[in-house]
Amino acid sequence: MHQSDSIDRIWNWRITIYCVVVLVVIAVIAVGIGPVPINFLKVFKTLLDLPGGATGQDRTVILQLRLPRILLGALVGAALATSGAVYQTVFHNPLADPYLLGAASGAGLGATIALTSTHQNVYGLLPLFSFTGGVLAVLTSFFVSGKFFAEPNSLLLSGIAVGSFATAVQTYLQQRHSDQLRPVYSWILGDLTSASWSVVAWSALYIVIALMILFLVAKQLDGLMLSDEEAYSLGVNPNRLRVIAVAAATLATATAVSASGLIGFVGIVVPHLVRGLTRRVTNRSLVSIAFVGAAFLVLADLGARTLLSPAELPIGVITAFVGAPFFLLVLRNRRKGMSL
Amino acid sequence: MTLLVTDLNVRYGEKEVLHDINLEIEHGLWTCLVGPNGAGKTTFLKVLLGMAPYAGSIQDRGKEIYRNHSRNVAFVPQQPQIPLGMSVAEYVALGRAKIDGWGNESANSREYIYQVLQQTKLLGMQHSLVSQLSGGEMQRALIARALVQEPELILLDEPTSALDLHHQISVLNNLELLKKKGVTIVSTMHDITLAAMYADRIIVMQQGSILLSGSADQVIHSPELKSAFDNRIDVHTLDSGRPVIVASKASRSWLDEK
Repeated sequence: MHQSDSIDRIWNWRITIYCVVVLVVIAVIAVGIGPVPINFLKVFKTLLDLPGGATGQDRTVILQLRLPRILLGALVGAALATSGAVYQTVFHNPLADPYLLGAASGAGLGATIALTSTHQNVYGLLPLFSFTGGVLAVLTSFFVSGKFFAEPNSLLLSGIAVGSFATAVQTYLQQRHSDQLRPVYSWILGDLTSASWSVVAWSALYIVIALMILFLVAKQLDGLMLSDEEAYSLGVNPNRLRVIAVAAATLATATAVSASGLIGFVGIVVPHLVRGLTRRVTNRSLVSIAFVGAAFLVLADLGARTLLSPAELPIGVITAFVGAPFFLLVLRNRRKGMSL
Repeated sequence: MTLLVTDLNVRYGEKEVLHDINLEIEHGLWTCLVGPNGAGKTTFLKVLLGMAPYAGSIQDRGKEIYRNHSRNVAFVPQQPQIPLGMSVAEYVALGRAKIDGWGNESANSREYIYQVLQQTKLLGMQHSLVSQLSGGEMQRALIARALVQEPELILLDEPTSALDLHHQISVLNNLELLKKKGVTIVSTMHDITLAAMYADRIIVMQQGSILLSGSADQVIHSPELKSAFDNRIDVHTLDSGRPVIVASKASRSWLDEK
């Protein structure tokens, strides 16, 4: 076969391998950086349990403080970036983000209820409250839009309405409990300080399940970029695929939000970055988007905990600081007809 | 071998869109649906795809077509959803989804896609974004994707309406090549002259029903064709024997009737 008489492979899996390498390198560097600097080689040896690794206090810092936080950051980043890419495909909208259907406002309301509650023991249930709030908000959006997926735009609009309603209730609660403003506020801007091995474990469970489902249907998602008739003629059941995709993306998003608060822009910046760099839009890049999302958030968290050290910046401030100008760039390019 | 439509009725809520349709569509031929706007042509096309529910029966080789995924039917919509940021090669390659599985184009398939790109004169722009194509190029990309699908039946909704005459002919010639390979074609077409040039069978629809159907020649010269269009068309025959259908200027416009 003569190479020039054929088209190139649509997706080059080498790109995915590069993305994994980038994530691992950033993660190892991030473990080493902090108030107590630790040699990278030592970090590497500790992580792989090789002789010559860190001992004593350094070992505790690596394994009990920094590693769970970095893993949580990676999980949340992967969840938000992948969900963002999936939402953009499902809603034919390059500026769609994982919070589109009210997941963010619902989770925000749930968290605020937990934080402003007078019962101390509810405070510990914050992740559960925000998770439930996020999922309930998305379910309400589905219910209100009525037609399920016959009309993606009506789902989008009901998502906006449900989101506004939840935000209104949340603001009311905040005003009534102004003494709790600060924790609510810092939760809204997102932070990974709650990271512990138990948080990593339960969020990994849900996020990995959700991402596996999305990776399994990733290639078919390209069909959802067409009209329903075209998708059907190519062998996809568009309604069923949309429900699976949105359900899995919502599970990932709600888990990420309940573990780390509202971290914005990851779901928009990362998919566009990967597509822009690889010049491929196809959902075959979903796995790579997940890894780059993970790397992006680990990097952002590194900034959050070191830039103003010993104080912490909310991670949402960093992602928004990078994300907002990027968002405008995408918008501008899109107007010029360059898409992405 | 036929596609057998028996007592077909389709409703959108209260509105009856297709009414008591009985029809045979022969495999290996080009069947063209003509009729005024709102006659139900597009709905009929979508029903033939097997995705939309219907009352009555449509059997393809003896099997009901509703949600029958074993058929390989290509669908070319009038107004496609343009995927943002997808390259022409990726777009056309989607046509292989049914044959190779999603996202698993074999080396042979990629060679075939290359040939089809060549045939549809899209070679050289396979790395361009679909969203940047002109109307004519987009239509060729759609046809290319349908060709790559190697379907047994291809459904086209107004495949030529967005094109200039030169591109209309090139698209229709591509379809004619496909027919020679044994593919069944069902299309809607506004331009009855073009329909008469290419189609083997013409079906005239009006208000959700079939007014008449038959060979292109029969239908063009029948008086019912004129009545389907409220007598606002004239059929002329050129010296070559080819019929030409033009709007009749003499008839009253719908404004006068008010």
